[in-house]
Amino acid sequence: MRVETLPAVPGLGGLYGKGLAASGRLMMTRRLPGGGASDLALPDVAYRVAGVATGDDAAPGAVGSAAHLARYAQVVGEAPSEHLPAGYLHVLGFPLATALMVRGDFPLSLLGMVHLANAVSLVRPVRLGDTLEVRAWAQDLRPHRKGVQVDLVTEISVERTDDERAAGVGLPATTFAYRGVSTYLAKGTRLPDDSAGRTPEAHRDTGRDAQTFQPPLPTARWSLDGGTGRAYAAVSGDRNPIHTSALGAKAFGFPRAIAHGMYTAARALAESGAGRGETYDWTVSFAKPALLPSTVDVAIRPAADASARGRQDVEQVEAPVPDGAGDPRTGLTYVAWDRAGRPHLSGRVAPRP
Amino acid sequence: MATRNPPVPTAGAPAPTSGAPRDAYVIGGNRIPFARAGGKYSRASNQEMFTAALEGLVARYGLQGERLGEVVGGAVLKHARDFNLVRESVLGSSLSAQTPAYDLQQACATGLEAAIAVSNKIRLGQVESGVAGGSDTVSDAPIAVSEGLRRALLEASHAKTFGARVKAFGSVRPSDLAPLTPSTDEPRTGLSMGEHQAITTARWGITREAQDALALASHEHLAAAWDAGFFDDLVTPHRGLVRDQNLRADSSLEKLARLKPVYGKRLGGSPDDSGHRDGPEPTMTAGNSTPLTDGASTVLLGSREWASERNLPLLARVVDAETAAVDYVHGHEGLLMAPAHAVPRLLARNGLMLGDLDFYEIHEAFASTVLTTLAAWEDDEYCRTELGLDGRLGSIDRGRLNVTGSSLAAGHPFAATGGRIVATAAKLVARKAAETGGTTRALISVCAAGGLGVAMILESVHSTDATA
Repeated sequence: MRVETLPAVPGLGGLYGKGLAASGRLMMTRRLPGGGASDLALPDVAYRVAGVATGDDAAPGAVGSAAHLARYAQVVGEAPSEHLPAGYLHVLGFPLATALMVRGDFPLSLLGMVHLANAVSLVRPVRLGDTLEVRAWAQDLRPHRKGVQVDLVTEISVERTDDERAAGVGLPATTFAYRGVSTYLAKGTRLPDDSAGRTPEAHRDTGRDAQTFQPPLPTARWSLDGGTGRAYAAVSGDRNPIHTSALGAKAFGFPRAIAHGMYTAARALAESGAGRGETYDWTVSFAKPALLPSTVDVAIRPAADASARGRQDVEQVEAPVPDGAGDPRTGLTYVAWDRAGRPHLSGRVAPRP
Repeated sequence: MATRNPPVPTAGAPAPTSGAPRDAYVIGGNRIPFARAGGKYSRASNQEMFTAALEGLVARYGLQGERLGEVVGGAVLKHARDFNLVRESVLGSSLSAQTPAYDLQQACATGLEAAIAVSNKIRLGQVESGVAGGSDTVSDAPIAVSEGLRRALLEASHAKTFGARVKAFGSVRPSDLAPLTPSTDEPRTGLSMGEHQAITTARWGITREAQDALALASHEHLAAAWDAGFFDDLVTPHRGLVRDQNLRADSSLEKLARLKPVYGKRLGGSPDDSGHRDGPEPTMTAGNSTPLTDGASTVLLGSREWASERNLPLLARVVDAETAAVDYVHGHEGLLMAPAHAVPRLLARNGLMLGDLDFYEIHEAFASTVLTTLAAWEDDEYCRTELGLDGRLGSIDRGRLNVTGSSLAAGHPFAATGGRIVATAAKLVARKAAETGGTTRALISVCAAGGLGVAMILESVHSTDATA
């Protein structure tokens, strides 16, 4: 795969405009349903940005600065810390993955793409003051019952300081810290070899019917107010109108604005507590979006407790298993559901062995 | 993550009294009647109420101008200006201005923890006497500004120029102007205490009928105790209130059964169109849950010598106390179940069985809090796996439970409840010992927010020297 180095992490605002244009172009050229097989190939390129500053070296108030991290922590409920939680690293790398998806040769339309799942491994702590290298690429285009799914991979490494370089001749220039895999669904698009999405593989990923979900006893309740989407948009840069305004949401068929899936997942990560340790795996599968405002019941339990009680609070949609994920009986599992008992999301947070 | 500490057997731990130089005693108590929120004390501050309770105690025991060892207490809902609430109350009382004081706060266990703190100093010989207590008001609760406005105000106050001050307010949004009122939601879970208890209630399968029966007993016992004059030397009227305002002497099971559930309505999801619900039926109502209340209480503690010099009675000896906490954040244990853990450790350390107690004062945060605690002690597997016991702790004689009523009837001004119970329990053991001539013991347990629980054992003083 070719690596293309960008001078800086691009801004999301411009990317959305570009995404809109690209989506229009895709529609014009009718590469969507019924498009030719040769068109559905992912760009063979990875984006790379080096020298991404955090802490005092970041622009004041910008992503990576102490003030921005503090705002993020307050919004998602993370304890104030100099550590960058995995949800924050997702925010930091998200524009680079988005830049890939708005490329002219990216075969799927960004607009209306559905975030199905996320699997993250934080393998070494990242702190304010670390200088980061971010890479992003797309991989594994595959069929889904309702269309085509694709993984956007973001990797973050910490650049060695000058002192470290001087001390350790021959060491690689960076140490690997974070890998996030975001799985997206493009509805309606079909892969040529997907005989209308009826392969067992396509069905497996949709998991059990939501009707079979029995809510367990909750351990927490989230009162999501009407400004939740705007608050997370402000710290994540993801200002998709379906999250920030009722009107924008209506345009996509939702009765009201919906919470960012990653906001709810980041909140579950935050509420998993100090027991997750400094390095951890974090997965999430998204089901029904949470409308704003709404009250969401949540169960976050030690996996050992959950299995001992035979609870049914396991994943609806199987998230990809992070590399090196440990014993499934360790860590915490979480699931959140609405007033009617329909699941919003589920996942797991586990300290890395 | 969330590793479980194996339960630690405590039976072998040494009794702290063996090395203690001397005992601490409950001499008496005084409180003001508890008022319903927005009721008789709607304009009374914590300081006013605590001072009133303290002043009544001073009058009852002739302590005007006395320099006590210390006064310890607190409030759960507290204004920032009340940083020295108890010391300010002392200065407003007729105690000597040389009486030290400090504030302590442990949610609903504040009053009981204050009694432990004072009695421990007495036992160590650091003080001869002290007052423990607490005050709380929901009616006069503090109201805070939003985080956005607070940040802007702080930035503006640190700004050096007018322009910078104006700029600081630029980030304030209209929604930031809404005031924040205190809530009883657990900060880490967002669930109110009632919702937490509804989960515990469902897990233990406590019925609506059992909860209503316990609530009714609380009202009947408290009404009978008031009628019999039990509280005549424990309560001083305040602002026209002479009895606990929440007490409903005419309550009945029928009336309680008519109340609609208020907690646990979402467990298992809402009922479908045909009224079918997958989750447990909600059982907790306003009748079997403690209402929000205003009030204050105090307890006088001292050494035998100190009481003897002043010709004051010794109601009960403070035997020992234990504080426990449980892991409720991720649902392993119920929020209000810590007393279930504290009591067996306390009993084991003092070589006592659950049945050795003559009175059980279990704070009625909710009727089901008492019932889940009792059910836990009767559950063999729970006692082995969660409490580290050899088997079930046992059952109690329900005729010895909250015999003069408890929080369901009296109300529960958070920090004031410990003092109410300690004074009541001390009087109960003193009275029974005087009647029977034998040693009489009371067990006190109070659950608190944050998964906390505090327990204490009081014991009667031998009849020949009860009045020193």
